[in-house]
Amino acid sequence: MLEKLLKRLADGGAHTPESLARELGVSRDMVERMLADLERLGYLEAAGGACESKCAGCPSAAVCAVGTPQRVWALTDKARRKGF
Amino acid sequence: MRNHDEAARSVPSVLGACCADGSGPTQPVGPCTIRVALVGQPNVGKSTVFNLLTGLNQHVGNWPGKTVERKEGIHRCDGVDIQIVDLPGTYSLTANSLEERITRDYIIHERPDVVVMVADAASLERNLYLLSEILCLPAPVVLALNMVDVAQQQGLGVEPHVLEAALGLPVVPMVASKNQGVRELVDTVLRVYREGPRGVCRPDIREDHREVLAELVNLIAGSVPEPYPEDWVALKMLEGDDEITEMMRARLTPEQWEQVHRVLMKHEDAILAIAGGRYEWVRRMTRAALTVPKAGQITLTDRIDKVTTHPVWGLFVLLGVLGAIFWLTYTIGSPIQAFLDRYLIQAGAEWVRTALAGAPWWISGLLADGVIGGAGMVLTFLPILVIFFAVLGALEDIGYMARAAYVMDRFMHLMGLHGKSFLPLFLGFGCNVPAVMGARIVDSPKARLLTILVAPLVPCTARMAVVAVLAPIFFGAAAIWVSWGLIALSLAVLAVVGIALHELVLGGEHVAFIMELPLYHKPNARTIGLSVWQRTMGFVRKAGTIILIVSVVVWALSVLPHGEVDTSILAAVGRFLSPLGALMGVGWQMMVALLTSFVAKENTIATLSVLLGVGGEGAGLAQVLPTLLTPASALAFLVVQVLFIPCAATVATMRQETGSWKWTAFSVALLFILSFAVGIGVYQLALLTGWGV
Repeated sequence: MLEKLLKRLADGGAHTPESLARELGVSRDMVERMLADLERLGYLEAAGGACESKCAGCPSAAVCAVGTPQRVWALTDKARRKGF
Repeated sequence: MRNHDEAARSVPSVLGACCADGSGPTQPVGPCTIRVALVGQPNVGKSTVFNLLTGLNQHVGNWPGKTVERKEGIHRCDGVDIQIVDLPGTYSLTANSLEERITRDYIIHERPDVVVMVADAASLERNLYLLSEILCLPAPVVLALNMVDVAQQQGLGVEPHVLEAALGLPVVPMVASKNQGVRELVDTVLRVYREGPRGVCRPDIREDHREVLAELVNLIAGSVPEPYPEDWVALKMLEGDDEITEMMRARLTPEQWEQVHRVLMKHEDAILAIAGGRYEWVRRMTRAALTVPKAGQITLTDRIDKVTTHPVWGLFVLLGVLGAIFWLTYTIGSPIQAFLDRYLIQAGAEWVRTALAGAPWWISGLLADGVIGGAGMVLTFLPILVIFFAVLGALEDIGYMARAAYVMDRFMHLMGLHGKSFLPLFLGFGCNVPAVMGARIVDSPKARLLTILVAPLVPCTARMAVVAVLAPIFFGAAAIWVSWGLIALSLAVLAVVGIALHELVLGGEHVAFIMELPLYHKPNARTIGLSVWQRTMGFVRKAGTIILIVSVVVWALSVLPHGEVDTSILAAVGRFLSPLGALMGVGWQMMVALLTSFVAKENTIATLSVLLGVGGEGAGLAQVLPTLLTPASALAFLVVQVLFIPCAATVATMRQETGSWKWTAFSVALLFILSFAVGIGVYQLALLTGWGV
């Protein structure tokens, strides 16, 4: 199931935790746990940091909704080497 | 596992002496002690269960040599002393944390008679993962399904009997906080102690890895120290467990280790299959036993999202929303703009001319044509912008913008971007500057650069304001279609440029993008008001500074040195550019208007107003412009206008955000060439087809 999730993420694209949960037939909670596992095992890495630092200095920061909570995962070289 | 089964089988004879039937002692012969370990994740009510069972008979200390608390206690039941150890709360049984190591070491070394795993029924799947690891250890397990009331409140249907059948081990539903199910738990523990484990369903690993596991067990057979089970050690090594691997490395001969190491290296990614197998097992175990809330309990957000994030319908919703934004903006905003133009700008300029009739010509010219006709004219677009910003602010506040990004993702993909880039690009409809700045949220450097490079191709309100003023002058009732066409053209060019840059210059990379979609909520007037205020003030500041200065400079250049437009410096510059303009049938004034739009897009109108001297002549532009341009030229001009190099502020921001003059210059050159190429192409096509000439 982890491999299935990794394959899904390897294709890129936008997902919500709910959409991934639906595809895998598990709860959102499980998806979160699997993502954490994949990160811990070195197959996924979170790309980029928190929005706060990036939005500092932007005049629209106070009113901007661009920085809605989101996470971007990139597959690590380790995952790529495994053919994902 | 074998060791344990033997141990478990040997137990009943001992137990038989003190509690023969398990449900209660018949004739207690003497004190009998059984050892029970409580395991579970943090916050599942494990301590509550422990306290309920042990009451005051508990002892708190530390694990030997560790700072982790060790709680032990005794529960006396029917003449049996149940010695309970509360193991530290853990999420899994890897060797990653002290708590995890204590838990697994205790079970392996101390071999408790029964392990009670306390699980939170409200997050059953997560808890079962830990169970899947515990089941690989040598101990009979009872699952105490705590907080079944919370699960019920959340609408989750948990069927303990179904779960019990699936797992092959006893499941006791409990509400420890209300002292419910404790007696049943104790009875079950005693029964399991007496009867030993049954046919437990353990997680499996994939066929190919099963062979590897068997190979590994063979290789380490005989070298595994007591009391470690061989198959568990092999499994842990295959999982990449450092502690166990190191232990075995010290015990194997170099030749043996060499062989083991080769197998481990070859199957470095076995952990994916093993952990994946556990998740699959959890899914299988809960499939029948767990029912999640039915459609009736789905929230409003879920229902709306079914449409707004649907691959097809979501796109229609987005198109509809975009259409509604522009329709609202122009339907309400444009008449107000026309009204302000007529009664504020034209009348104001007329009043200044009359009032300053006796003053030197340049004073009234400067004020009426330069300041009022230029910068003042631009301010009349304020209502259009306020409406646009208000609708945008409302959509952001409701929570729709995140959905828009989600839906747009597949299209952004063609450019090697993902939906996240759509958010700053969408801001570009308001102003390109925040679009370029907003690209900061794009994490991958390549995608960020690409987002910045294509951002100026999003038609901003300033460009659209120019279109909103000029299109009706040239095309009358057909203006709305021309405006739509220009927006569509911009976006099509954006897509083509994006794909080309992605393929040719930047190369692709894939990132997955996991978005938290916020719950929809009622828009807050204050939040929207703040958003409109900040963005509008930004525009007013621009009109009061850059646009005002440019208007005055353009006016000055248009009358210097002889006080005549036709012989002015500006005319000379414009005539220098006229060969380019001739290719699309536009005169030098239009070329100058385009050039000044580099300073601020709205300057196109300010410049035309100044140049064509319409400050005091009523709706002069509307009368003069159609005499200067054919519809084909007008269309070509508008095309160049919307695709032209962005304003100076955007270019400066691009330099700041890319940190590179090279990419900034590349963008400016690209857009300059592109805008004229498409504009000339449109004009030549019109000539060929005989339209609007």
